[in-house]
Amino acid sequence: MAQHDILIVGAGLAGLRAAFEGVTAGLDTAVVSKIHPLRSHSCAAQGGVNAAINPKDDWHDHAYDTVKGADYVGDQDSIDMMCAEAPQAVLDLDAMGCPFSREEDGTISQRAFGGQNFPRTAYAADRTGHAMLHTLWEQAIKYGVKIYDEYYLMKLTTDKDRASGAIVMDIKDGKLHQINAKAVCVATGGYGRLFASNTNAMTNTGDGIAHAMRAGAPAADLEFVQFHPTGLKSSGILISEGVRGEGAYLVDKNGQRFMQKYAPNKLELASRDVVSRSMTLEIMAGNGVDGAVFLDVRHLGRELILERLPQIRQLAIDFEGVDPIDEPIPVRPTCHYTMGGIRVNKLGQSIGLKGLFAAGEAACVSVHGANRLGANSLLETIVFGKITGKDMVDFVKNREGKERPASSPEDLAQVSRQIAEIKARPVNEGVKQAVIRKELTEALQVDCSVFRDAQRLDRAWKAIEKAKAHYARIVVDDKSDAFNTDVITALELGNLILLGEATVKAAIERTESRGAHARDDFPKRDDANWITHITSVVDPQSGEVVLGRDAVRTVDNPAYAPQERKY
Amino acid sequence: MQAAVAKTPAKAPPAARKVTFRILRGTLVGDQLTQKNQDFEVPYDDSTTVLGALEWVKGELDGSLTFRRSCRASICGSCGMYINGRSRLACKTKVKDLIYGNEAKNIAAGGEVVVISPQLNQPVLKDLVVDIHPFYEKVEVLKPYVQDGPEKEAHVTKDSFSQVNMVSNCIMCGNCYSDCTAMVENPSFLGPAALAKAYRFVADPREGDKTDRLKALSEDNGVWDCTRCGMCIDACPKGVAPMEAIVKLRALAIEAGNTHVKGAKKSMGLKGEIATWGVVNEPLMMLNALGPIGVLGQLGNALNLMKKGKVPSPLPFEHRPEGLAEVKAIYKELEENPLDVRTRAEDSGPGAG
Repeated sequence: MAQHDILIVGAGLAGLRAAFEGVTAGLDTAVVSKIHPLRSHSCAAQGGVNAAINPKDDWHDHAYDTVKGADYVGDQDSIDMMCAEAPQAVLDLDAMGCPFSREEDGTISQRAFGGQNFPRTAYAADRTGHAMLHTLWEQAIKYGVKIYDEYYLMKLTTDKDRASGAIVMDIKDGKLHQINAKAVCVATGGYGRLFASNTNAMTNTGDGIAHAMRAGAPAADLEFVQFHPTGLKSSGILISEGVRGEGAYLVDKNGQRFMQKYAPNKLELASRDVVSRSMTLEIMAGNGVDGAVFLDVRHLGRELILERLPQIRQLAIDFEGVDPIDEPIPVRPTCHYTMGGIRVNKLGQSIGLKGLFAAGEAACVSVHGANRLGANSLLETIVFGKITGKDMVDFVKNREGKERPASSPEDLAQVSRQIAEIKARPVNEGVKQAVIRKELTEALQVDCSVFRDAQRLDRAWKAIEKAKAHYARIVVDDKSDAFNTDVITALELGNLILLGEATVKAAIERTESRGAHARDDFPKRDDANWITHITSVVDPQSGEVVLGRDAVRTVDNPAYAPQERKY
Repeated sequence: MQAAVAKTPAKAPPAARKVTFRILRGTLVGDQLTQKNQDFEVPYDDSTTVLGALEWVKGELDGSLTFRRSCRASICGSCGMYINGRSRLACKTKVKDLIYGNEAKNIAAGGEVVVISPQLNQPVLKDLVVDIHPFYEKVEVLKPYVQDGPEKEAHVTKDSFSQVNMVSNCIMCGNCYSDCTAMVENPSFLGPAALAKAYRFVADPREGDKTDRLKALSEDNGVWDCTRCGMCIDACPKGVAPMEAIVKLRALAIEAGNTHVKGAKKSMGLKGEIATWGVVNEPLMMLNALGPIGVLGQLGNALNLMKKGKVPSPLPFEHRPEGLAEVKAIYKELEENPLDVRTRAEDSGPGAG
């Protein structure tokens, strides 16, 4: 059995940023990732990272924009902390060697993003996440973080009321390993693959959130799923909000801009939930073409497109067959980000399981509330990766974490049985995973996406029940040990189904419209009853998701009082 | 507005056709690798990528088919594999282009059979999955991080990262490493991706120890072990042009006084030879001077292949130089416009199909 002081699951920006704190504090720090760290989906983030660096900007304004963007269910203590720490967090990355784009005088360039009143988004061309991820990986190599790459999380283990480590599978040979750690951090990202059309990597299956819920650490805000306005029509591949930040228009089939009808002030740069709903209404009214409207950058000119949006242009050419210099890009709202995750306080500590921490998209710290602002996700990873990493160090050095928890061999045996059971099921006596996945994700796409109501959610719930029943009989073709991606994807599907169950349950429960959760049957925001988080945890007896409540954390700031949200 | 409607490609093949995927499957028992081709009939339309087709096979026909993949948007670098005679990203490569060819993407028409095998120059673990650790170890050994030191420049400007940006487009997919001909001769060669990464640090004004880096890179298995065949430029899906970075490192290494090593001496002595015979391209000047990098890469490649007597050309389209006159013209151009290794780099361009 391997032992470490700190175990981090997930090697994206949040995980590697937390690892940096552990290893530079002299602790034995290990990171487990089912893919090589540089493959993590953080690399796909394009537009940038928000921070009030410019002397004319003020982090309080950033915080205000974030509280409003979150539709008043974001946790104000976390939001204040994130926005205040943002400039230093970006400068940290810069000092590590991240090549942020510059102005003539050497200051870090910043562009406009949606839902904000100042151009405060720092960037590295249009591949900001990629540049940041490579930088943090470089630091992990420099300081000697132990990296278990291509190891898959099978279970988060506990010792009584405390996290004790994990059971992981070495994907290369299929062997199971038990890792014991004094502090465990989940940074496995979100679960956007629950929806058929999404901008996410195929690996974004919410493994860490699902395992935390099974281990008794509640998740929260799972009903809040962000649909990004501009996914490519045919593949869902992301076209950054930075494109609208640079001045792109959204136009209908007649080339007419339409956002003035919905957000007369901010137009295309209204908050994402607002823009996605507007586009969906236009498409439903027959003003789109083939389920899509268009993102038009032609007026920006060839030179600007080539200099600031080279990757975007290439994605449009490669995946949509359209050169944005000459033609508008067909786009539609596409599942992009899951605001919910493992419920933690502002230091990244789970509210339900001591010694368990979470950061990044896998966490619900909740700086995004009901709707995330563009470029706040990269910021969340580096601020809360850092803060959570520091708190884990303190936990291990000075608090309950000084003592090592016990690991039980029974956990290893149980996981071993689970895999054997899936492999043992004869192929002709079960249901193929591709069938279950397709039915599940398409049902959620139709009935639990941009617009919801009781009838649709009921259909979504039936799809969840069906998926659960089918999953009990799931079969795999590959019975071997080495690099068995058939088994891995089957296990990922199990995690998605659990998260789907919690998402739909919470969406049914929340009888109002707020942020990304828009219900036709409850079109108004209901501040009297719903300024609260809905939590979800797995009941150990029944295996079902049980909902609860957790209060929104507020600070004494009158500017954060709920107001009507206009852009 | 007519232009708002996406136009269909002019020579689109009919929708919903079938193509054969011939995939080299492999199993490793102990150290023993057993490989065998297996054919699958795959439906495709204009938008189907190789990755989409492989996912379909895995989901519908055979769940044991094994390959890496993640982002499906050519940014994570997982799905590099050897497709129709070249290392490519499965997610970025359209099935239609492989069958009918696509000149803009430099893909030759391959007909109704798409042939797929694992990347080259790396041990195979299973089917299309190779062991990526040797590749990464060569990156890690180069101290892949900005270091403090006396050569650190405190001030950066708008153009400071122009050179850095081009190579930091690299997604570490290993396609250049897979197609590298120098690697075949010398498996210890650091390889194009690692050297491009090294250049990323040498070119960064904030790097504090450029001199030591250049010295280390001048040793065995470093910049002088590249054969300048240009395959890495062709293979790169992100337009990084690793060979160009290697050439720039050579120039900077010589400038920094690393002239004692064999490769440097040879390179400096060859200058006359090129102009006279056109058979050895002086890399210091060869590259970068003639505009589109891709054309140059093809040119360097063609020269090398001719030199080695390798026929037929693996290039899908002919970009061979017309002959000595053209090489002389290149040389003249280079004399007039020497290589810029310090300031502005060309945009890295679209990268291979």
